[in-house]
Amino acid sequence: MKIKKILVANRGEIALRVLKTAREMGIKVVTVFADDDRRLPHALYADESYSLGSGSLHDTYLNKAKLIAVAKECGADAIHPGYGFLSENEEFARMVEAAGVIFIGPTPESIVLMGDKIGSKKALEKIHIPLTPGYHGDDQSEDTLSREAKKIGYPVLIKASAGGGGKGMRIVHQDSELLEAIRGAKSEGLKSFSSDRVLIEKYVLNPRHIEVQLMSDTHGNHLHFFERECSIQRRYQKVVEETPAPNMSQELRLRICETAVEIARGINYRGAGTVEFIMAQDGAFYFMEMNTRLQVEHPVTEMVTGHDLVKYQILVAQGDRLPVRQTEIQQKGSAIECRIYAEDPDQNFMPSIGKIERIGAPGLRDVRLDCGFLDGTEVGVNYDPMLAKLVVWGETREIAIEKSIHSLNEVLFLGVKTNRDYLKRILSHPKFVAGKTHTHFIPDNKDDLLPRAHTAQDRADLIAALSFAERRMTTAAAASSHGTASSTPWTALAGFRN
Amino acid sequence: MEKTFIIDGQEFRVQDFKATAEVVAFSLEGIKYQYSLVTREGPEFILDRGTRIHAAVSSANRDGESVIIANGVEALGSIGGKKIKKDRAAVGSLAAPMPGKIFKVLRGPGEEVKKGEPILILEAMKMEHSIRSDKDGKVKKICYQVGELVQGGAILAEVDG
Repeated sequence: MKIKKILVANRGEIALRVLKTAREMGIKVVTVFADDDRRLPHALYADESYSLGSGSLHDTYLNKAKLIAVAKECGADAIHPGYGFLSENEEFARMVEAAGVIFIGPTPESIVLMGDKIGSKKALEKIHIPLTPGYHGDDQSEDTLSREAKKIGYPVLIKASAGGGGKGMRIVHQDSELLEAIRGAKSEGLKSFSSDRVLIEKYVLNPRHIEVQLMSDTHGNHLHFFERECSIQRRYQKVVEETPAPNMSQELRLRICETAVEIARGINYRGAGTVEFIMAQDGAFYFMEMNTRLQVEHPVTEMVTGHDLVKYQILVAQGDRLPVRQTEIQQKGSAIECRIYAEDPDQNFMPSIGKIERIGAPGLRDVRLDCGFLDGTEVGVNYDPMLAKLVVWGETREIAIEKSIHSLNEVLFLGVKTNRDYLKRILSHPKFVAGKTHTHFIPDNKDDLLPRAHTAQDRADLIAALSFAERRMTTAAAASSHGTASSTPWTALAGFRN
Repeated sequence: MEKTFIIDGQEFRVQDFKATAEVVAFSLEGIKYQYSLVTREGPEFILDRGTRIHAAVSSANRDGESVIIANGVEALGSIGGKKIKKDRAAVGSLAAPMPGKIFKVLRGPGEEVKKGEPILILEAMKMEHSIRSDKDGKVKKICYQVGELVQGGAILAEVDG
């Protein structure tokens, strides 16, 4: 069955992203919006757009019954959930299908399986997917614990089973430290949690976050679209993502991608998915989790492979075979995504709100700004502070970095404080440039990422800019007070506030 | 003519300030500067100071502050003589740094607090922000209850030093 009309159950840039591909395929798009979003482009540019009313997220974008009712009413064949919101909600997936509408995503069974952190690992252990080596057994004798620790291989982490917040946690680098660490963890566990039970896990020093993009159809084809390196994170929030992962051998790249494909095949997956791995500096990698949706950072993969992942999601959802073979998917060049947030990195990353007077547009080729705002729209308090994703392709990683820094200067987001300058500091850090990425990159290089003090020239530039702007504002105000025939108070005001 | 500018909270006095529609000239910390306007489009400018730079300035907010971007450097600024926001509701003050919802109240009236200790937690943009005491003292008043919505800049608690 061909999908003719899609309802996008999301907002902002991802709603526009789905809209774009659907249009390319000749499919009509319906969007929905909470009333405080009514001026955002996703509420303006669809073929049809419906209000979800106001109130909490549960009344609007998370209102399953209302979304399905809108889909039925406007005759949509399918619902695309985007990312976040209801994209990994198995109840919603079931409700959509029960209503006779196609859910553009995995089966509810896959969502449940991968949503369960312990259950998913058990299922994957059966198909021999590498998990972080560890010992969680009942036998808590020192002999057994020592034997297991050696078997896992140093360094290991000894943790109080009931623990949290680092209490009762020990990193052991060699045999001689082991017994003392076990005893220490046990006694601290006993004191803090009334239990001396401990577990042992492989300690991955300076781990990398490497993930693999997958796409599966309902005819037994499971493809990968290579990996993404997403180690640059702040408090588990990704900030910069790229592909291909730097400093990775082709052999390792293929091995990790094929492991991800085995997972998709092993659980008979459907649609777009991403397997996240934790990778040690020596290249050993372990399954972390699988995200059963399109990821925020999917565009870097599209830039480097040239394939449209949303298109494939739609084709798979309507029961088609994937129109490509694995050998036809190649990486070309390098792509980097910077997530532009409305926040002040120099004030403890405090979110900022306000009116965006001018967004600006990237001028270079192969640069994509996925953005859910327009000039003059407001950034409010109710939603995620991500303003846009700047995705830049270059022939080499070095070029992609340089182009990204240039493009960050072109997208102004004038009016709200953004992390653009902070992103530039990351991209120009010598360790980032060298591809020495790991998940502690941001905390480890905190001091290097502080803002550079203004030079005398910077200050003069800022003062000059402000002086010209003030002149413009006062001139406009003066014109309005003269009240010429052509300038009503309204147009003068618009000029003043421009 | 002398003129005062506030850039990122810091005051700068410029001397010999002259401005026409086309040219701005001044000296700052003993150095002379001259900028001419090449072109502008809405809030964006191209200025020439021997080399050309791109600049953009937002309209002033109600405290008279504008976001200024000049040659890739971004700052908040205002021109002296206008009303300047005194406390920029910085992290650590007892005002809400942005609109949000009171998520948790950790200290009640009469309780002792140390400087830097969190008094309440504000939830905004799905994130939590601690509102910390700016001095050692005793909580005098908690102005809102859990669940209440507050405006940016609202005073959330008072502490007697």
